[in-house]
Amino acid sequence: MDFILDYFELALFLFLLALGFFAGRFLERRHYRSIRQREKKLAKVLTFATRFPPNLVEPQDCRLVSGCVVISSDYFKQFVGSLRNLVGGRFRGYETLLDRARREAILRMKEDARRAGYYLIVNVKIENTSIVGGRQGAMPSFELFAYGTALKPIKHAV
Amino acid sequence: MQFENRAPDEHVNYSIEHPLKEFAWLAGGVFGGLLLITLLAGFFAGELAARLPYRYEQSLAADTASLLVDRATDPRGIAIEQELNRLAARIAAHMPLPEGMQVTLHYQDTPELNAFATLGAHLVIYQGLLARLPDENTLAMVLAHEMAHAQLRHPARSLGRGVAVGIILSALNSGMGRSAAGGALSTTGGISLLKFSRDQERDADAAALATIAALYQHVGGAQDLFRVLASAGAGSEQLRVSMLSTHPLSQERIDAIATLARTRGWPEDGTRTPLPVALRGAQPAN
Repeated sequence: MDFILDYFELALFLFLLALGFFAGRFLERRHYRSIRQREKKLAKVLTFATRFPPNLVEPQDCRLVSGCVVISSDYFKQFVGSLRNLVGGRFRGYETLLDRARREAILRMKEDARRAGYYLIVNVKIENTSIVGGRQGAMPSFELFAYGTALKPIKHAV
Repeated sequence: MQFENRAPDEHVNYSIEHPLKEFAWLAGGVFGGLLLITLLAGFFAGELAARLPYRYEQSLAADTASLLVDRATDPRGIAIEQELNRLAARIAAHMPLPEGMQVTLHYQDTPELNAFATLGAHLVIYQGLLARLPDENTLAMVLAHEMAHAQLRHPARSLGRGVAVGIILSALNSGMGRSAAGGALSTTGGISLLKFSRDQERDADAAALATIAALYQHVGGAQDLFRVLASAGAGSEQLRVSMLSTHPLSQERIDAIATLARTRGWPEDGTRTPLPVALRGAQPAN
């Protein structure tokens, strides 16, 4: 008991680090599995960065579709990140974090389109906002927002 | 026209390398580097401080010692201080104190189990420790140990070292802010100071033992001191991690004393001298 009290700060730090690592890794793997699965499922909703629809002949019905995701880093990633800040270089932990966030935002946008019956999205853009907490050194979180113009051919009711 | 969104290449946008590999490289490099820098800076700052003439330390101590140490004002406290100073003078005769160094003993009537040496060879012993000492030999080990700190200029070294390491850490801290690694890096810097502190304790133990051997012709009582400290440390002592302590573990010190006494040929025990009457007054009434 005395041991725990003597080294409480150290023990807490190691606990948070281990929690961040194991929980973060478990959630990340699970998220990637889900992303790959849903990417297959929504593959028929096509996305393009171009401003113009591939089919310029037919008149199109259009609407704005969007997908938004807010993600937060874990303690382990943040710890490695603050060390990385000292020496520079490729920030591997955040690469997966942001990759997941981008793909998740696009998936949500595709889901939005599919629900409304659209299977083509053009002019897809991604915006990101960093959400910084009130205190300095707070856990970094980001919002990723994917949006685009969904198109479908207008069915003529003659 | 047929279009298709292909599944993204999983190896372009992020790395599949195990995160612990990056962690090991970064943590090893940054913490190892910082430990090395603080150890080097601490070493040179300490050596530099110890080479400053003693009078500079004295003038610095004149300003600070009066704040650190309350002088005893009651007659009993004064009598105890006089007796302690008499014993210190006898010990000083067997110790190569630097030129101009005058050891001053202070007695604190509070129950802490402690004694310390500070700048200007001001030594402080607490009632809590004095009351637990069985005889003069053990008390002499306490005083000789603290006087050895003064003789080896440990307070000055620690001050120089603290300033050097403190500057490095505060520079780092201002750069890192309150990030997760900031706290851990400060702790690492602190660990290097603890290493110096343990080395000083070992050096002071060795110097004190030589003095005790010259004074009493045996080193009886020296081990008793650490037994007293260990028994009063109550349990936590066994669980203490050596690397994170300011002092070496009591058992290590008892063993080191036995080894040193054997190699130098000092008798491990002999006739013990009882405590002077005035100091017995510090014992609890029961």
